[in-house]
Amino acid sequence: MTTTDYDPRILKAPHPVPGAPDNWKRFFSFNTDAKVIGIQYIATSLFFLLVGGLLAMIVRGELITPPADLVDPSVYNGLYTMHGTVMLFLFLFPILNGFNNLLIPTMIGAPDMAFPKLNAIAFWLVPVFAVVLMGSFFAPGGPASSGWWSYPPMSLQNPLNHFINGQFLWILAVALSGISSIMGAVNFVTTIIRMRAPGMGFFKMPVFVWTAWAAQTIQLVGLPALTGGAVMLLFDLSFGTTFFRPEGGGDPVLFQHFFWFYSHPAVYVLVLPVFGIFSELFPVYARKPLFGYRFVAIASFGITFLSLIVWVHHMFYSGTPMWMRNLFMATTMLIAVPTGVKVFAWLGTLWRGNLRLNTPMLFCLGGLFNFIFAGITGVMLATVPIDVHVGNTYFVVAHFHYVIFNTIGFGVFAGIYHWFPKFTGRMYYEGLGKIHFVLTFIGATLNWLPMHWAGLYGMPRRVASYDPEFAIWNVIASIGAFMLGVASIPFILNMVSSWARGPKAPANPWRAIGLEWLLPSPPPAQNFEDDIPTVISEPYGYGLGQPLVKDEEFYVRRSQEA
Amino acid sequence: MTTTAPKKSPNIVAIVIVTVAVAINLVIAKLMATWSYSWFPPQASTASSYVDDLFALETGIGSFIFFGCTGVMGWVMLFNRAGKYDESDGAPIEGNTKLEITWTVIPLLLVFAIAFYSMKVNDTLNALGPKQKYAVGADTRELIKADPMAQVGPVQVIARQWSWEFIYPNGVRSSELHLPIDQRVNLQLQSEDVIHSLYVPAFRLKQDIIPGSIISYSLTPTKEGRFRLRDAMFSGAYMSVNQSNVIVESDEAFSNWLTRTAQRALQPGLDPGRALYDRRIARGDKGWATVPPAPPPMVNDPGDPSIPHDA
Amino acid sequence: MTSVNPNIQLNHTPGHVKHDGHNMTGFVIFLCSESVIFLAFFAGYAVLKLTAPQWLPDGVEGLEVRMPLINTVVLVSSSFVAYFAERYLHHRNLWGFRAVWFLTMAMGSYFVYGQYLEWSELTFSLRSGVFGGMFYLLTGFHGLHVITGILLMGLMLARSFRPGNYDRGEMGVASVSLFWHFVDVIWIILFLLIYVWQ
Repeated sequence: MTTTDYDPRILKAPHPVPGAPDNWKRFFSFNTDAKVIGIQYIATSLFFLLVGGLLAMIVRGELITPPADLVDPSVYNGLYTMHGTVMLFLFLFPILNGFNNLLIPTMIGAPDMAFPKLNAIAFWLVPVFAVVLMGSFFAPGGPASSGWWSYPPMSLQNPLNHFINGQFLWILAVALSGISSIMGAVNFVTTIIRMRAPGMGFFKMPVFVWTAWAAQTIQLVGLPALTGGAVMLLFDLSFGTTFFRPEGGGDPVLFQHFFWFYSHPAVYVLVLPVFGIFSELFPVYARKPLFGYRFVAIASFGITFLSLIVWVHHMFYSGTPMWMRNLFMATTMLIAVPTGVKVFAWLGTLWRGNLRLNTPMLFCLGGLFNFIFAGITGVMLATVPIDVHVGNTYFVVAHFHYVIFNTIGFGVFAGIYHWFPKFTGRMYYEGLGKIHFVLTFIGATLNWLPMHWAGLYGMPRRVASYDPEFAIWNVIASIGAFMLGVASIPFILNMVSSWARGPKAPANPWRAIGLEWLLPSPPPAQNFEDDIPTVISEPYGYGLGQPLVKDEEFYVRRSQEA
Repeated sequence: MTTTAPKKSPNIVAIVIVTVAVAINLVIAKLMATWSYSWFPPQASTASSYVDDLFALETGIGSFIFFGCTGVMGWVMLFNRAGKYDESDGAPIEGNTKLEITWTVIPLLLVFAIAFYSMKVNDTLNALGPKQKYAVGADTRELIKADPMAQVGPVQVIARQWSWEFIYPNGVRSSELHLPIDQRVNLQLQSEDVIHSLYVPAFRLKQDIIPGSIISYSLTPTKEGRFRLRDAMFSGAYMSVNQSNVIVESDEAFSNWLTRTAQRALQPGLDPGRALYDRRIARGDKGWATVPPAPPPMVNDPGDPSIPHDA
Repeated sequence: MTSVNPNIQLNHTPGHVKHDGHNMTGFVIFLCSESVIFLAFFAGYAVLKLTAPQWLPDGVEGLEVRMPLINTVVLVSSSFVAYFAERYLHHRNLWGFRAVWFLTMAMGSYFVYGQYLEWSELTFSLRSGVFGGMFYLLTGFHGLHVITGILLMGLMLARSFRPGNYDRGEMGVASVSLFWHFVDVIWIILFLLIYVWQ
């Protein structure tokens, strides 16, 4: 192709855009287009999913036999601590921000985020704190090794007495991650509040936008409390203060309050967007409206509010008085209500639908199946007498991995497959996708289902060795883990080869209803540019025969012409 | 705005199928609840039966919900699948306000009921006593406020990185916790370094031990035997081996043990982290940073780790 | 590959989205979030004060209130002064704005200086138990915010010399002013917590 064949706007753009000869470079540059930033977040996160997964493989390798015979126990502690930290701060939070970047502007008809430069800065902080965190493996004494909670006084011990140690770098990395997240949250919330298409009132927004808004609100309210606690921990570690050191009059349990005040709502930051993904995908693949759209939308903020008043359920057998345990048991149980509303709504959406069981739908169904189970064990953990027995055992490890991987992870995969054609312009290979699903579902079940019984029988968590009676559960779990490791192969193969040479994707391969599907695949730099559609219907109008926007055929034609 | 499908006359077949399915689900739920008792170690304290009953109740309710919901999913995956080239839409149902309210209110009542019942269990167990903070250098023995309802104790429990020490009122020190059956014992939990946790799975009881505080904790064992006591809060490199045993015996055997042991000389007690640490040092201190283990407690009875435990 | 033909006929009225006014929304959201970190520190202060076995370090009876009270009056007044500066700007009286804005900066700087003086006369340090730690953490963190506010005000002052700076509104000055009021309110709560509640 000669330069005269390119659209003049491509040639004049300050950085590569789709269609330009070297447009791949834009993913490695400081690019302010939310769709580029979204891909940058997602690609970076998937890399760290593999890093965190590798750490998990070593952990499960250690735990396949009762004695601690694979690595030194001090090394084991660093490995599992970094596994949790990497998975949360370098995989989950960034990948959900990636989804926010891709989906929020396109779903609401905005050209970009409210603050594009701030958006790019927020992304580029991720490689910075990734280097800090990964670099901590080489700090004297090794990386942080007190669990991802970093409870003092354990995290303050600093055995080698170095100023720059693994724990110090960990706190620094988490603080930088917090700054990046707050920048993102300010951006996402401002965009949703102020940049919706004409006609899109709050109750015409897609549920993903509702849940993203609810989740980012939690970030804004909760993260600064973690930052405060982390600053105090850093001061104790490095500057001689004694906020959490009993020998100086401090209170170790105070840190737990700071920590969990954010970190409990944080799990809803992670799960709410995935609830949004389920709410988007079930209607498409069942060809039915979302059952009870308004209840589902409002329940998102119900979860936001409740998530801020339940944190002590992580401290039921800690140094907390009984009245506090009873109070927070009651508030924690309440969260089951808005969550249940969503689950039943999805079942209502599936009922009498016309289901297509392709890869995204399979991951959604698998995720929902797992989530119902996880929700039930969650209510068990909310019950104080039961939690006193199973708290800090493998029952908890099983529960939270059932949420984090078997629900959230599944939802993330579902979202990746579903929106892959839209944002890369290519179709993925369905066969590989189904293989990925089967291996993942079986592997995940084998990995975490047996752990429930290990916990009930009394196996504590974070141990490098255990009494022989727990062996059988651990062997099965490790087999499942290795299977998950293998499952990543068809996924990576699919992502790479489909983007490089998959068939070109049409604008709306799933015949879905939504503003993002009225754009070409991939969408141009400013999405609808200056011609933003006016929304006239509520979302998910499958089978209702109403157009979503005024002059819908015009936008459909325009998306197909590109 | 909700639209419902046009009303049809009640479908008898559907009602029968649903009733049968619900009945089968109830039976399965009951079976699961009964089965759940076998998922625990033996019941060895007064708390155990309460915890197991509560868990069985939640397993039953949870199973009913789980199989009900996944049954619906299974049904639609079997009978509502679109054919390969079928691109038609499903039934255009947007919602049903009555149903939505129902499935909001019923779970709300259910969780409140469970919470209320659990609070009563907490009250009945009445295990947790006061927690008192102390300043640096204070003599903690002066702070001990014994549980007036306890028949044995107060027994001081000192957790360290990585060993346990139990000090009885008559001065006997032991690495293993001996208790007489069916008598309420009061423990005074202290840590000398980081947060530990006293966890006895057979008792279904756990309490974190916070440095800088003394926590009073009481329990009543109800079964004789040798039960594992584990450190359930991450406490450093050798936390996994920071385990001991609780030996529950008859009142007579317990008194005999107390008198016998008082006459034994003090010797280093159970110190499971030491052997591992020494092995690490012998291999050149490779590995990531760890504090050295605390010196072993000097005890009258160092216990016998070679005797197998019951649970 | 996308190339919307710029000559395509539109047979409908294209929608438009507001493109202005986002900055203030974003800044307000940011300030609400920032206030939570102070609330977290306040909560920590209160909990430690109420439950620590020994709160004040040995040899310390309490804090002197007179000098901090003067500092408080200066800082709170500076918020009113900033408000008047904004009024001048609104009426496009640029030299009036600059003079009064500079006065605000001077009052803020006096506050920082006063804080430094107070610190240098205290008999306890950051490491003097939980009280020492919380005191310096809270006042230091707040002081950092005051210094940031003064620097931002300086930036606004410099920009006021750029021709056509206020053609599209006074959002920058309004935001910095809001930040200054925020710093003020935080100080009032801090003062009540640390100096009044003794």
